[in-house]
Amino acid sequence: MTTLTPPAQADGAAAMTRGGLLALLARKRDQLVVLVVLIAIWQGLSMLLGNYWTGTPWGTFERLAEGIAEGELLRHASYTVAEAIIGFLVGGIPAAVLPFLLRRLPMVTAIIDPVMVGGYGAPKLALAPLFILWFGIGIESKIALIVFTVFFVVYFSTLGGIRALDPKLVQMAQMAGASESTIARHIIFPGAVPHIFAGLRIAMPYSIGGAVVAELISANRGLGYMIQLRSMNFDTTGVFVALAAVCFVVFIANWTVNSLEHRLLRWRPPTDVTAQKE
Amino acid sequence: MTGLLEVRNLSKRFATRAGREPSPWIIRDLSFSVADGEFLTIVGPSGGGKTTLLNMIAQIDTASGGEIIFQSKQAPLNDKKSLKPGLNCQIGYVTQEDNLLPWRTCLENVLFPLMAQGRLTEETRERAQSLIRAVGLAGWETHYPHELSGGMRKRTSLIRTLVYDPPVILMDEPFGALDAQTRAQLQEDLLRLWNLGRKTIVFVTHDITEAIALADRTLVLTRQPSKVAGEHVITIPRPRDMRDVVTQPEFIDIYRRIRAQVQ
Repeated sequence: MTTLTPPAQADGAAAMTRGGLLALLARKRDQLVVLVVLIAIWQGLSMLLGNYWTGTPWGTFERLAEGIAEGELLRHASYTVAEAIIGFLVGGIPAAVLPFLLRRLPMVTAIIDPVMVGGYGAPKLALAPLFILWFGIGIESKIALIVFTVFFVVYFSTLGGIRALDPKLVQMAQMAGASESTIARHIIFPGAVPHIFAGLRIAMPYSIGGAVVAELISANRGLGYMIQLRSMNFDTTGVFVALAAVCFVVFIANWTVNSLEHRLLRWRPPTDVTAQKE
Repeated sequence: MTGLLEVRNLSKRFATRAGREPSPWIIRDLSFSVADGEFLTIVGPSGGGKTTLLNMIAQIDTASGGEIIFQSKQAPLNDKKSLKPGLNCQIGYVTQEDNLLPWRTCLENVLFPLMAQGRLTEETRERAQSLIRAVGLAGWETHYPHELSGGMRKRTSLIRTLVYDPPVILMDEPFGALDAQTRAQLQEDLLRLWNLGRKTIVFVTHDITEAIALADRTLVLTRQPSKVAGEHVITIPRPRDMRDVVTQPEFIDIYRRIRAQVQ
């Protein structure tokens, strides 16, 4: 009999070792340094070029605080975020489900492939005016644009995930007596989850960006509308404020996808430094 | 003599693609039988079609000719669609790679066949636990495959097949990629488990020592196209000590004879 001693439960991401904590702090410090350098460059440029071309960091911060206090920023941001979330879900969920339905129908998959490739490659920005024409300047046209963007990205990454699965795992399951539905649920789906997440991770900033771009073209609310209006009034600092708000929204959304992925993909071995979760 | 599993004139060549020479025969007119409760080992040169043979018995590959009789019934072999992988859980297969599901822990991997067959009960769970203890994996149940060593993964994959108790178990060089020490340990574990249940085992390897040490009977295959080159009944008494077995005079004699047949 071999005696294999399991390691104390200190391994994995659950417990942070002292070395890991130090590395994390060092990374946070370096990220902060990058941020400070960027703000310094910004400050330098604004002093060099003057208020007309760029807002100052401090001025932007003041206006940002003002916008938050007045509730104006929140009102516009929440409109953009609502568009992005609805579009992300309406486009992403069917895109993640469809390849599973088509798994047993390779003929159908092959037939619709050119359409999918076309949709994936179509310049989304060029479609925005068309969607506005069809759905008006309200929330519907923005959602349509986001759905159109998100759908193809998630569809192809999910399809790739299903195709990348090792057929030997399916064979193993068949020999162990697994039914088709058991295989779909316990082999194909978990195997594809990392790929679905890769798609969602790419699609998420697209959906926020899509919302902003659609609002730029035609809207009466939202962060994109804010940018459009303020640039027309030569309010450069105001544009910076709206851009900062967009960046913040993307940051939060990215963090949400990351933590969800981390929870669902606990089983994955850490591959590199960026995969070591904080 | 009719066995539990009979292979008759089995032949295999891979499907030809348009515009190409037909592929050579991998296996040609191969016949042998396995008795109930027998531990049969098959040795042959690498690339000799041993894995292909097991794939056909396991019903995950078609044959180009011949038949396989299992429990006096002919197994479907002609086209991919009629194959029944594992013949309704009657044939277990421990493949060369461990094929563990990376998103399931060690215990969840072992329980997978039971779950798939709808046989998860108190009793079968207890059986899984006792197998885990028997191969020294106690304490590792909640670890994912990437957190286990190669030997531990092999153990997990071995007991995942043992747990649902198929009457025949096929093994394709399961210990091939392990270091000598781990390998000897696993061979002993396997023999101990086999002694408890006396399953029918068809064990393929290219290691003559392993083939003799484990078996009741050893078949020697030729190079492609594979045929039976020789058959040796191993009468070394059981239980056998893996580190000791090689020093027995009988072992040395059989080893020489098999060596002469494996070209």
